[in-house]
Amino acid sequence: MNLRFHWRLLQGGETAGVTRATASSQRATGLPDLERQIEFCRQAEKSGISGLLTDVGAAKPDPILLAAGLGLATERIEFIVAYRSGLALPTTFVQQLNTLSALVNGRLSLNIVAGHSPIEQRYYGDYLDHRERYARTEEFLAICRALWRNDGLVSFNGNYYRIEEAKLNTPFVSPHRSFPELFIAGGSPEARYLAVSQGTLWMRLADTPESLKVSVAPVLAAEKEVGLRMSIIARASREEALHSAYRLVAGLDPSLRDGEKEKHFMLKSDSVSISETYALAENEWLNPWLWTGAVRSYGAPAVALVGSFEEVAQALIDYARVGVTQFILSGWPKLDEMILFGREVLPRVRKLEAGLRRSQILRDL
Amino acid sequence: MSSVGEKWKGAKSRAAQSGIPDLEAHVDFCRRAEACGIDSVLTAFGFHRADPIVLASALGVLTTKIKFMIAVRSGTCSPTVLVQQVNTLSALTNGRICLNVVGGHTPNEQKGYGDFLSHDDRYARTDEFLTVCRAFWEGDGPVNFKGNYYHIENGRLNTPFVAPDRRGPEIFLGGSSPQAFGLAARHAHCLWTLPRRPEEMAKQIRAILESGTEVGILVSIIARPSRKEALSTAQSMLAEVGDRARKTHQDFSRVSDSVAFTSTLALAEESSSDWLTDWLWTGAVPYLGAPAIALVGSYDEVAEGILEFSKAGITQFLFMGWPDVPEMTAFSEEVRPRVLAQYDAGSDISQGTPLNDEAELNQP
Repeated sequence: MNLRFHWRLLQGGETAGVTRATASSQRATGLPDLERQIEFCRQAEKSGISGLLTDVGAAKPDPILLAAGLGLATERIEFIVAYRSGLALPTTFVQQLNTLSALVNGRLSLNIVAGHSPIEQRYYGDYLDHRERYARTEEFLAICRALWRNDGLVSFNGNYYRIEEAKLNTPFVSPHRSFPELFIAGGSPEARYLAVSQGTLWMRLADTPESLKVSVAPVLAAEKEVGLRMSIIARASREEALHSAYRLVAGLDPSLRDGEKEKHFMLKSDSVSISETYALAENEWLNPWLWTGAVRSYGAPAVALVGSFEEVAQALIDYARVGVTQFILSGWPKLDEMILFGREVLPRVRKLEAGLRRSQILRDL
Repeated sequence: MSSVGEKWKGAKSRAAQSGIPDLEAHVDFCRRAEACGIDSVLTAFGFHRADPIVLASALGVLTTKIKFMIAVRSGTCSPTVLVQQVNTLSALTNGRICLNVVGGHTPNEQKGYGDFLSHDDRYARTDEFLTVCRAFWEGDGPVNFKGNYYHIENGRLNTPFVAPDRRGPEIFLGGSSPQAFGLAARHAHCLWTLPRRPEEMAKQIRAILESGTEVGILVSIIARPSRKEALSTAQSMLAEVGDRARKTHQDFSRVSDSVAFTSTLALAEESSSDWLTDWLWTGAVPYLGAPAIALVGSYDEVAEGILEFSKAGITQFLFMGWPDVPEMTAFSEEVRPRVLAQYDAGSDISQGTPLNDEAELNQP
C-alpha cells in the first residue's frame, strides 16, 4: 500500500508564523472559519492529502462538530478527529462518531491522545495522572471497539467505566470498515502499549530513522502501523529551505518568539513525548535533514524535515524503510507548504516508492 | 428530526428503528419548516437515534433560518464538553441553537451510557450540570465548581457562544415531576410538559410562571377542514397502527421512570373517555406514546384549543403530526392565522415543531 500523507487542518484565525503559545491564547482560534477551512480542505484533496488532523483542546472548537460542518462541504478528504478520554463517556462518543460517519460516508479516523496538560484536564473535571489517563483510555477504547463490533449488547465493568447492556442503532458507516482507524498518539511506553492493544497505528513524533527503528519494533511485530507527526520545509534547493527555516525563527518579532512561554508550557505538561522532544532539540540537527530549531517556539510537532524536494522525498522514503506508513505533516504557512508538498514532493515520493516496492519484491524473491 | 420518513412516529419499538440519518430527508424537512414559519425543530436523543448535536451541525450548515432544539442529557458527557460543542455549533449556525435538557426516561437505557443514578438523583445531577454550563455562558472568568457530581477547576474555553443577541442558548427543560418543575424554575427559560385540561394546567403552572419561566406543551395535532374529517383521520390512524403498537407502549411504560410518560399513559388507559375536552384527545396515546396526546378537530376548533392553552399561561407549543409535513403545512396555512387573528396583539406566541417521537419529551 502507498504511504499516506495527512496534514494539520488550518485553524480559524490562523496566520503564518504565529507560535503555539500565541495561537492558543487568541480568541480567533476558538472560532471555526468555515469559508477558509473549506477552501483548505479542497486544496488538500487536490494536493493528494488523505486526511486532515482536527485538533482537540479547550482553545479550539469541538473537532467532531467541526468535521461534520467541513465534511458536508467536501467529498474525498478524511477527518482525523483528535480526542481524549475523560471528555465524553464512551457510548456517547461512539454515537457521535457513528453519526458523523453516516453523514460523511466514513471519511474519518481518530487520533487518540491521553491529554498533555493536567491543568487543562481539570477544566473538564478530570484529575487523573498520566499513567491513569492511559489506563482509562484503554478501557475507553475497549468499550468503543465492543460497540463497533455491533454484535449485541455491550456490558463492561472496569476501574473507570461501568456500562450495562449498551446498544446503539447508528452503526459506523463506511464503504470499507466497520470501525474507524485508531491512531494512538504519544511517545511514552504507555502510548505504544495502547497502540498495540487497542489501536491500529502508533502515531509518534519524529526522530531519526535509526532511533525509530528500535522504538517501533514491538508495534510492527504486533502487525500495527506506525505513523509520524512532523513538519516540513521543502524548497527547490537546500539553500532556500535552510533560509526559510532560519527565517522562521530568526524573523520572529521578539514578542512573538514566546520561547519563555513555550518553556513554561513544557514544564507544566506531563507528556513524555513533549518533554523528550524538547530534550532532543538541544541538538539542532539530528541528521542532515531533521531540524529541531523550531521546537522551542512552535512546539514538539515542529521537528521538521528541511531540504530540497528530492532530499525531503528521500527522507520520507527512509522512514518508510523502517516501517512508517502514514504521516501527519504541517508547515509554515500550512496552506503554502501543503501546496508545495502536493506539487513537488509527493510525485517524487511516489516514484521512489515504486522503486522501493520493486526492490522489496526482488529481495523477497 | 430523527423520525423523518417514519409516518407513524412512535408506532415501532425504539430498538426496531433505524439510527442512520437520511440527510436529504432531514434537510428537506428543515426547509419546509422554514417555509412554514416554524421557529425551531427538535432533535431528539436516544440510543436508537443519530446523535442530535452532530446531526444539527450538518443540518445547520445546510439551512439558514431554522433553529435546532438539541436534546441534551446530563450524565452522558462533562458539562465543559457540552458547552464546547454547543458553542461550536452556535458558531457554525450563527446562534441557531437552543437546548432541551432532559435527564433520561429509561434506567436501562441510561445504564448503556454508564449512568446508574435514580430518577431523583438524575435531577440533582442535572441541576449541577446546568449550574456549570451557565457559569461558562454567563460568567466572565474561569469556571470553578465543586459539587456531588462535578468538580471543575479554572475551566475556560476559547470558543464563545456565538449569536447576534445572546451569550448562551435558551434552555428548555422537559418533565412533569415536581423535580422537573423546580429545576425548570431555577435554570430554564421554558418548561416543556404534556398537556392536561387547560383549567387544570393553569393551576399546575401558576408557581412556575411566577418564577419567570415560560411553560410550553408537547402536543400532536390533527387539524382538518371539518371536525368529521379530523375524527375520521384519527380513527383510521388507530386502525392502521394496530395492537402491536399498543403493546410497544405498554412494554415501554413498564421500563420507564418518567413521570410525564407514565402518568399520561395511565391517564389514557384509565379514563372512561378519550376526550379530555372537545378537542384534546388521548385516544392515540396507548398506541403511539405519551406525546401522541393530540389537538383534534376542525381548523377553528384546534385554533380554539391553542387559545385556551394560551389563556392558561402556555406560551410555546411543540407540535407533532402524522406525518409531520402535511400537518405542519396545514397548521401554517390554516390554524395559525386563526390563532393570531383572535390573539391579543400585544402578546407573543411562538411555535416549535418536534422532529420527534416519544423519546423526545425527554424527561429529566
